[in-house]
Amino acid sequence: MFHWLEKNPFFFAVGVFLVISFAGLIEILPNFAEASRPVVGLKPYTVLELAGREVYKKDNCIACHSQLIRPFKAETDRYGQYSLSGEYAYDRPFLWGSKRTGPDLHRVGNYRTTDWHENHMWDPPSVVPGSIMPAYKHMFTNVADIETAYAEAVTVKNVFHTPYGDEFKGTRAAWEAHKPKVLADAKKIAADMKNKDVKEAVEAGKVPEIVALIAYLNRLK
Amino acid sequence: MDYRALQGYGSFFMSLFLVVMLYGYIVYLYRSEKKGERDFEKYGNIALDDEITSTPVEDKSASERLEEEDK
Amino acid sequence: MQSNAALEYDYTVAKLFTYTTILFGFVGMLIGTLIASQLAFPELNYLFGEYGTFSRLRPLHTNIVIFGFTISGVFATFYYFGQRVLKVSMAESKFVMFIGKLHFALYVLLAVGMVISLFLGMSSSKEYAQMEWPLDILTVVVWVLWGVAMFGLIGMRREKALYISLWYYIACFLGVAMLYLFNNMEIPTYFATEGLGSIMHSVSMYSGTNDALVQWWWGHNAVAFVFTVPIVGMIYYFLPKESGQAIYSYKLSLLSFWGLMFVYLWAGSHHLLWSTVPDWMQTMGSVFSIVLILPSWGSAINMLLTMKGEWNQLTDNPLIKFMVLASTFYMLSTLEGPIQAIKSVNAIAHFTDWIPGHVHDGVLGWVSFMIMAGLFHMAPRMFKREIYSKKLMEAQFWLQTTAVVLYFTSMWIAGITQGMMWRAVDEYGNLMYSFIDTVTVLHPYYAIRALAGVLFLTGFVMFAYNMIKTMISSRELTEEPQFKSPMA
Repeated sequence: MFHWLEKNPFFFAVGVFLVISFAGLIEILPNFAEASRPVVGLKPYTVLELAGREVYKKDNCIACHSQLIRPFKAETDRYGQYSLSGEYAYDRPFLWGSKRTGPDLHRVGNYRTTDWHENHMWDPPSVVPGSIMPAYKHMFTNVADIETAYAEAVTVKNVFHTPYGDEFKGTRAAWEAHKPKVLADAKKIAADMKNKDVKEAVEAGKVPEIVALIAYLNRLK
Repeated sequence: MDYRALQGYGSFFMSLFLVVMLYGYIVYLYRSEKKGERDFEKYGNIALDDEITSTPVEDKSASERLEEEDK
Repeated sequence: MQSNAALEYDYTVAKLFTYTTILFGFVGMLIGTLIASQLAFPELNYLFGEYGTFSRLRPLHTNIVIFGFTISGVFATFYYFGQRVLKVSMAESKFVMFIGKLHFALYVLLAVGMVISLFLGMSSSKEYAQMEWPLDILTVVVWVLWGVAMFGLIGMRREKALYISLWYYIACFLGVAMLYLFNNMEIPTYFATEGLGSIMHSVSMYSGTNDALVQWWWGHNAVAFVFTVPIVGMIYYFLPKESGQAIYSYKLSLLSFWGLMFVYLWAGSHHLLWSTVPDWMQTMGSVFSIVLILPSWGSAINMLLTMKGEWNQLTDNPLIKFMVLASTFYMLSTLEGPIQAIKSVNAIAHFTDWIPGHVHDGVLGWVSFMIMAGLFHMAPRMFKREIYSKKLMEAQFWLQTTAVVLYFTSMWIAGITQGMMWRAVDEYGNLMYSFIDTVTVLHPYYAIRALAGVLFLTGFVMFAYNMIKTMISSRELTEEPQFKSPMA
C-alpha cells in the first residue's frame, strides 16, 4: 500500500504536506480566538509610541532585550509583575526577543525616566559602568517617521478593530488633522530632555527618533 | 459538543491513525523484503552508480511499458 | 528518449550557486565574527556609524548565513546531484535550464535587496523573517522557481525511484514554503490607507502571543527545514558517493524521514516555555523535543554505520573526516536541543548565551562542515580538475574543529553562569547580583568566542582559496573520478 507513495512524486509531496501540517493545525490555530483578548484597561499605542516602536524595530533592540517576564521569583523581583498574554494584544509584531544580553524591558517604564534614557542612549557606560551596549547617537538626529506610524494605526483599526477613535481615517486630511496631537506629545517628552538639537527639532515640528523611542519605552509598564 | 472537545477527539484519532500508519509502514518495509517482493537496499546504489549512461536501478520508461502491458 | 553518447550532466547552474555559497559564507561569517567581537570589545560598534552597531548587524549575520550561505549550498547541491540521482541532464530541457538560470538571477537580486534593506533598518523584527513585504513576495517567486526546476527534472527522470536525498529536498521545499507564507502574513500600511507613510512598511496579521506562536513555529522549523532536512539529504548522497559505501540501511533512512517530518513541527513551542502561551502547548513542545532525538539519531547512526568496516578512509581522506565530524556534531546538537527543551533546564538556559552556543555547534559543526564537504566533492567533477591541496584541507579541518569546540564550550559556561547569577539570592532572599554584574562577568567568554570566530573564518578563507585554486589552476582530470575525490 505504500508502494505508490514512494514512486509518485505528486502523492509523495501531498503525503509530506499532510504530515507536516498536522502539528500546525492542532497546536497553532486553536489558540487564535482566545489569546488575542486584551486585558481590561489596555489602551492601543498612540501614534508617537508606535513611531517609537518602529525605532525599536529598526535598530533591532530585540537582539539584546526581551519583553517577557517569566513567572519566577528572581524575575518578578528584578523586573516586576510577570507578563500576561492580554498585555500584548495590540503588539504587532510581538517583541519578546529571544536573548537577554541586556535586561528585560517589558516594564521599564516603571523604573526609568525620560532623562535616564536620554543619557543612557547617548552614552550607556556613563550611566551603567561596564555596559557593553553601543551608543545610539544617531537617534538624536534621525527623524522618526510619524506618518507611517499613523498609517499603521489606521490599518490596525480598520482591519483588526483595534479601538482607535473615529478620527483615525486613512486620508491625508485626517493625518494632517491628527499631526499636531503627535507633535504635542513629542513636546511633552522633549520638555524633560536637555539635548538642544532635539529641542530645536521638536520646536520646528519634527520628531527625532529618540523622542519617539522614549515615548514608547515610558509606555512599557 | 463544543469545538474544544472536537479538537481533542480530532487530535487523538489523528495521532492514533498516524501511529498505526508508522508501524504499518515498518511492518510493510520488512515484510515485503522478507517475502522477496521488494529490495529496498538496492536503492542505495542510486547514489553510487549515477553516471548518466549507467543503467537505472528501476528504469522509468521500462517499468511504464510493463504497466501498460498489464492493462 | 534516445540514448546519446555525448550527453553529459550540465553543471552551469550548480556552479553559479557554488560561487554564491562561497561569497555569502565569507560575508556572513565575517559579520558574525565582527558582532561576536563587539560583545567583548564594544568600541567595535562604531566602525560604520549607525550601520555598524551589534543590533543592526545581527539580522544581517543570521539572514546571510541562513538564506545566503546555507540556501545557496542547498541549491548548488540540488542542481548537482538532483540530475545525477534522477539520471537526467539539465541540458536535455531548455525549459528547465532557463528556469534554473532565472532562479539564480532572481535569487541574487533578492540577496542584494535583503542586504541593503537590512542595513537601512527596514525590518519586521521577526527573527529570520526580517525582510519587508516586497522582498517576501520576491522570496516566494524564487522559491517557486526552485520547485518548478525540481519537479521539472523529476518529470523527465530516467530513474523511477526517487533517491532518499531528494525526499529530503522535496520536504525542504514544501516545509519552508508553508511556514514562510504563514509567518509573513502582513498588510502593507501604504495600501491600507490612501498612500500614507512608507511604501515598504507593513503590519503583522497576528498580534502578541499568537504572533509569537506563529513566529516560533517558523523560527524553529526554519531550523528544521533549512539546517536539518536538506543537510541530511546532502550527507545521504555525498557520504556514500565519496566513500563508495551504500547507505547502511536504506529502510532506516526512510523511517527516520517520516519520523522527522512528523515530530519536528510540534517542537516549535519549546522556544516559548514559561511564556504566556498556554501550558499544554509548552508541554507539547517539551515532549516532542525529547521524542525528536529518535529520528535525528536514526539518521545520524545510519550515516556513521555507513562507514562500517571502512574507517581507514577516515585517515586517508579528509572529506570523509569532514562528513563524519558533521554527523557527530549533528548527534551532539540534537541531544543538546532536547535537553534545553526540558522546562526546568530551559528556565536557566533561556535568554542566555547557551542558546547561541547550541545553534552554533549545529550550524558550524554540522551545516557548514557538510556544505563545505559537499562543494569539495563536487569541485573535481564540475571543473574537471583535482582538488588543489589536501594539506590545506587538513589544516582547515583542524582549525575549524578547534574553533567550534572553543565556541560552544565558552558559550555553555557563559550561559549557565549567567542563568545561575540571574536567579541567585542571598540568605534573606534578595537578588545577589545586579544585571550589569552578570554582563561584565562574561567578558572572558565573549573574548574566547570572538577568537573562535576568527579561527573559523580563517578556515573558511582557506576553503575559499582551495576552491578557487581548484577552479582555475589545479591539474586537469581526463575522466570523472568514481568515488574518492582526487586531491593534490
